[in-house]
Amino acid sequence: MEILFYIAASVAVLATLRVITHLHAVHALLYLIVALIASALIFYLLGAPFAAALEIIVYAGAIMVLFIFVVMLLNQGPLTVEQERRWLSPGIWIGPSLLAFVLLGEAFYVIMAEHAPSHDLVYVQPKEVAISLYGPYMIAIELASMLLLAGLIGAYHMGRRRGKERR
Amino acid sequence: MTTTDLFALSPILAMGSLCIMTMLGIAVRRHHATIATLAAASVVITLGTLPLAASVAPRTVAMLLRLDTYALLYMGLVLAATLIVIALSYHYWTLRVNDREECEEFYLLVLVATFGALILTASVHFVSFFLGLELISVSLYGLIGYLRTRRAPLEASLKYLLLSSTASAFLLFGMALLYFQTGTMVFAEVGAAMAAHGTKPLLWLGGLTLVMVAIGFKLGLAPFHLWIPDVYQGAPTPITAYVATVAKVAVVALLLRFVSDLRMAEMQILDPFFGFLAAASMLAGNFLALLQQNVKRLLACSSIAHFGYLQVALLAGGPFAAEAVTFYLVAYVTTTLGAFGVVTVRSTPLRDADTFEDYRGLFWSRPWLAVTFILSLLSLAGIPITAGFLGKFYAIAAGVQAGLWPLVLLLILNSAIGVYYYLRLIVTLFDRSTAEITIETSASGHVIPGHWATVLSLSVIASMLLWLGSYPGPAIDFIRLVVTDLATTALHARF
Repeated sequence: MEILFYIAASVAVLATLRVITHLHAVHALLYLIVALIASALIFYLLGAPFAAALEIIVYAGAIMVLFIFVVMLLNQGPLTVEQERRWLSPGIWIGPSLLAFVLLGEAFYVIMAEHAPSHDLVYVQPKEVAISLYGPYMIAIELASMLLLAGLIGAYHMGRRRGKERR
Repeated sequence: MTTTDLFALSPILAMGSLCIMTMLGIAVRRHHATIATLAAASVVITLGTLPLAASVAPRTVAMLLRLDTYALLYMGLVLAATLIVIALSYHYWTLRVNDREECEEFYLLVLVATFGALILTASVHFVSFFLGLELISVSLYGLIGYLRTRRAPLEASLKYLLLSSTASAFLLFGMALLYFQTGTMVFAEVGAAMAAHGTKPLLWLGGLTLVMVAIGFKLGLAPFHLWIPDVYQGAPTPITAYVATVAKVAVVALLLRFVSDLRMAEMQILDPFFGFLAAASMLAGNFLALLQQNVKRLLACSSIAHFGYLQVALLAGGPFAAEAVTFYLVAYVTTTLGAFGVVTVRSTPLRDADTFEDYRGLFWSRPWLAVTFILSLLSLAGIPITAGFLGKFYAIAAGVQAGLWPLVLLLILNSAIGVYYYLRLIVTLFDRSTAEITIETSASGHVIPGHWATVLSLSVIASMLLWLGSYPGPAIDFIRLVVTDLATTALHARF
């Protein structure tokens, strides 16, 4: 069981290294998705399937797709088609796909093997997460929503057109 | 959650709902004076809820927040400082109406940041600690870069964003290590678990050090001070005042509680680390300040040194240290608001007044403003009959009581260095050579609406400086009473 953790962890570290060393935003984002999936697998191995699912749905699914869309949309113009063709050259896929395949194989093994979890693991079910979120940590949820409000206002101010241009 | 809990939480609830009200107010009517008044009224209303909360204190709500008189005192300090920052901002933005920059969200962001500061003063749990800290930081990213068409604010904002998120990563990792070792995120329980364990594993030490690195970053202590001069210089001056006072007061409030709940004074494992931070901050701050030719940068460097002095008082440990730190902070906040208030008033629509030239002969053209500035600078230098002198005296007394002789000697030496660069600025104020020109320019400037708010806040600050310096008895008694609450509740706060 432990070797599985080390494989997933090294995939995450490798992918993250590529994220920060890559010169191209879209390619770096591909690696970032792999890194997030790897950490989701680590969550699963540690006995938190719910957190793993959230990691994939929220981060790898929603936020990263949004990232890629925004980066792609920012580059509009006549050269865009040519540029996108260059971005999607087959060579680029090899690295992230290899890492993703490692993770896929590992996930298959974990699900198929069905061996007992190691003794010191406690499985955290969605219900327990929900109870603690809306019980003792209720104030924390409200605080997090205020945090989002602060980020939203800041982003809104930074991103809006100046008064002169609008009129 | 019971009614008593709601009463105890009333300052936080009031501030949170008033933030939303202000946001809706902006949506309904985008008008500078209205929103500024609304923001100031929000702060005043929140100040009004403090006695209500004090009537049920001390109370721990949902294990995240502890509302005791200690937290309420710091909340009062934070709110009063915010009120003055709002008054200064009104002046600052009235000068910049020609910029066509919508300035209403500015007040909203200030309120949200203050909300974060209120959370931080009361938090006894890693979750509320982190969320409060991030509330302040995220609002500050927007506030520091609010003049987004100028280069310096944007650069400062980006620097703060990058460095602050690095510090947050350190903080999270430190928290994770502590949680991994103790299985709890409540400060007092972490402290109890550590005390129960005889030898300290390295992971504990690592976790604590990482948390302290993050706190040191937010306070701008020496090895982590690199952002301070740039951010202070680049940010709009009222926000510089905000970063220097509210943001740091909240972090110190948390640090005091963290140290007392974790019983760090008894363990003494991190004492060398703290001592290093204090010594490095004092030396780095003062030597950097000697080199500065820019008033905002000079004040920034002096703030690094001041948190070094504060660290000496903190290191002494025990209730007396908490008392000394609290008094020092009250004096420091008053002084800093005074200094940056004058910088705000001297600013022109085109730029902030940050060169020595802007202050040449100020005493002859605007004597009252100059007197306020001189009082603030003397207080920063620690000259008697100003608040700063008693603050420094307190820090030295705490250090002597704990027998921290090397640090105390370093503190005295550094104060002597400090006097030099503060006096250099004061001498500029009396320079007669360009006085005539300055009088002309100031006479041509028309009086802006709402000028009374700035005048009122600056005169309140100036009289506070003198009052705290000459007759500090009532303030000291009050602080002593409140701080004993911190020491006693820490012991009984298990649940």
